[in-house]
Amino acid sequence: MQLGDARVGKWPVNLLGFARALRRSGVPMDSAKIALSVQAALAIGLEHKADLKAALACVLINRLEDRAVFHELFDAYFKDPQVANQLLAQMLPTAQGEAVPNKRKPRVNEALTPKRAQDTLKSSDSSKKDQEFELDAAMTASDMARLRQSDFGALGAEEFKLVQRLAMQIPMVLPTYATRRQRASRVGRGLNWPRTFRQALKTEGEFLDLPKRGPQRQALPLMIIVDISGSMERYARLLLAFLHQASSQYTKREVMVFGTELTRLTAIFQRVDPDDMLEGVNETVKDFGAGTLLGRSLNAIKVRYPRALVAKRSIVLLITDGLDTGDSQELEESLQWLKRHCKTLCWLNPLLRFEAYQPLAKGASLLDRYADAKIAIHNLSHLEQLAKALARVVSSKRE
Amino acid sequence: MMSVDGLIVALRAQGYEADRATATSVYLSLALERPLLLEGEPGVGKTELAKALAKVLGRSLLRLQCYDGLELRDALYEWNYAAQMLHLRAAGIQDGQPNSVPSLEQEVYQSKYLIRRPLLQALEAPAPGAVLLIDEVDRADEPFEAFLLEYLGEYQVSIPELGTIKASNKPVTILTSNRTRDLNDAVKRRCLFHWMDYPDRERELSILRSQVPQASEALSEQVSRIVNKLRSAPFADAFSRSPGIAESVEWARALVALNTLVVDPEVIGDTAGILFKQREDVAQLLPMSHALLSQDE
Repeated sequence: MQLGDARVGKWPVNLLGFARALRRSGVPMDSAKIALSVQAALAIGLEHKADLKAALACVLINRLEDRAVFHELFDAYFKDPQVANQLLAQMLPTAQGEAVPNKRKPRVNEALTPKRAQDTLKSSDSSKKDQEFELDAAMTASDMARLRQSDFGALGAEEFKLVQRLAMQIPMVLPTYATRRQRASRVGRGLNWPRTFRQALKTEGEFLDLPKRGPQRQALPLMIIVDISGSMERYARLLLAFLHQASSQYTKREVMVFGTELTRLTAIFQRVDPDDMLEGVNETVKDFGAGTLLGRSLNAIKVRYPRALVAKRSIVLLITDGLDTGDSQELEESLQWLKRHCKTLCWLNPLLRFEAYQPLAKGASLLDRYADAKIAIHNLSHLEQLAKALARVVSSKRE
Repeated sequence: MMSVDGLIVALRAQGYEADRATATSVYLSLALERPLLLEGEPGVGKTELAKALAKVLGRSLLRLQCYDGLELRDALYEWNYAAQMLHLRAAGIQDGQPNSVPSLEQEVYQSKYLIRRPLLQALEAPAPGAVLLIDEVDRADEPFEAFLLEYLGEYQVSIPELGTIKASNKPVTILTSNRTRDLNDAVKRRCLFHWMDYPDRERELSILRSQVPQASEALSEQVSRIVNKLRSAPFADAFSRSPGIAESVEWARALVALNTLVVDPEVIGDTAGILFKQREDVAQLLPMSHALLSQDE
């Protein structure tokens, strides 16, 4: 297409620019989608902006979470001249006073900013941070005891080997269940008709052998809930690294950690490299080494991630010392809910150091009452013991 | 080929009130011959849209309800083994001669021994083709999604004994999902995507008018206002699930059946089980009856 070709106009180029801006804002985008968007625009026409927006939304995004970004970016990209002026005003430092406050998502703003400008922004940002660091430190000191970010370093070579070795040598074998999907099986009950028939054809229609078919088995979904409050913080890093490796073969795996609030780490646990995983944990967890609000955290699963538990099938592995400082009524209710919605609730308690231990603390006694399986480990710093205990508690519930 | 406006009118004639964005997505799916993936909360009218669309287009509706463990033989085809076996026996008796394996194979793997399931039926549907509804695809497992790829991308399937079967009339394909899990990206890439929201009050009201004509105007209005409030803050935060359109229509029907003229707290208490299906949600609803019934918005 030539520049200024009146027959086609410039809109396909604009569309391409818009799609690329979407990609910069983090929306998955490929050239097939962009080509399809041109077709869609042709089919729907350019007369009505709302229709064009709906049409492009259909083609260019396929996740609910991208929808808000799309709408904001569309409005900003195919904007009124008035909005354009405002946008320009925002970019010019002298006109800052007149600018309308920018309410867009940071991702959208980044996508709209030229790349070179972004780089300079970033570098000035980081230098700003360096300057601000000392100023901030004094103010946050009083809060440090309660809320702080975890600071896990990457695994050392020895630790890495240990974690890998344990995950391999002491496998965590989850119980399985029979899915409705069928497969060829020697001990199945049903007849594997396609195979039976194919064999019979080879023997001129005589059924000499009757291959069977049975249900395919699959590991039960796993939910790991780890306490990272003050009493557990010493072990948290290696514990998470080990759990990450030991449960890596299970695709249906949910991971939550809690202190005073709940953090979902499922997506971060999908990173293959344990160091990447720990780095992600550092970025995400905000209440490391804080108090323990078990009831509130379990309740947060119910409210925020009710679908994380696969009804009646999930195996829940709760790793906590049970020294709860929250409301025991809330804890009891959320434990009841958890118990109702999972298959097995396994409680792994690192506090059971003594033979004469009695779960006297309110939280611990509630856990004691509701857990299907309890396992004591005397010292979490011995990862090997932990691995064995985990394998034991999980396999004790095998069908 | 009709326009977006034409589609809205035609769907309305079939009792389906579509908003403009939804109609646009359907229109595009028809124009570009692409499958359409509809996602949204339960009860926003995803399945109903497919039914109404089939009527609008004058095509037959084929529905494949997905479930955990759905297999090829339930979705696509299965050989009629009993009939094939009879054929084998009969062939043996007739000539008394041992048949060669290739000829036997050719005889028994004929399309007359094929049991066609919805996907295959959709591909072989006579003109003008069919509307295929793959309902609640998130309930099926990942292997089934992988199997769908060939169908969604090319409108064709491969049957080992017969070869590739290509659609003579491309079926209009609509997939629905309640988002109980995320679908595979490969499936999503082959589809147009539309997220269906709860309707605004106006649209809900016109849905109620067309679905429950027996209800008085005042009652319909009250129902749409209350349900709309239940779906928005601050009320919605108290519930694990908001009532969908299906629920509000059911509720209006129930109110008519109970000869209700005006909704009051007592009526809400009696019929709470229609709006919410969780004991906790029902318990939450009762104390807020007065706030729901207040006129100010």
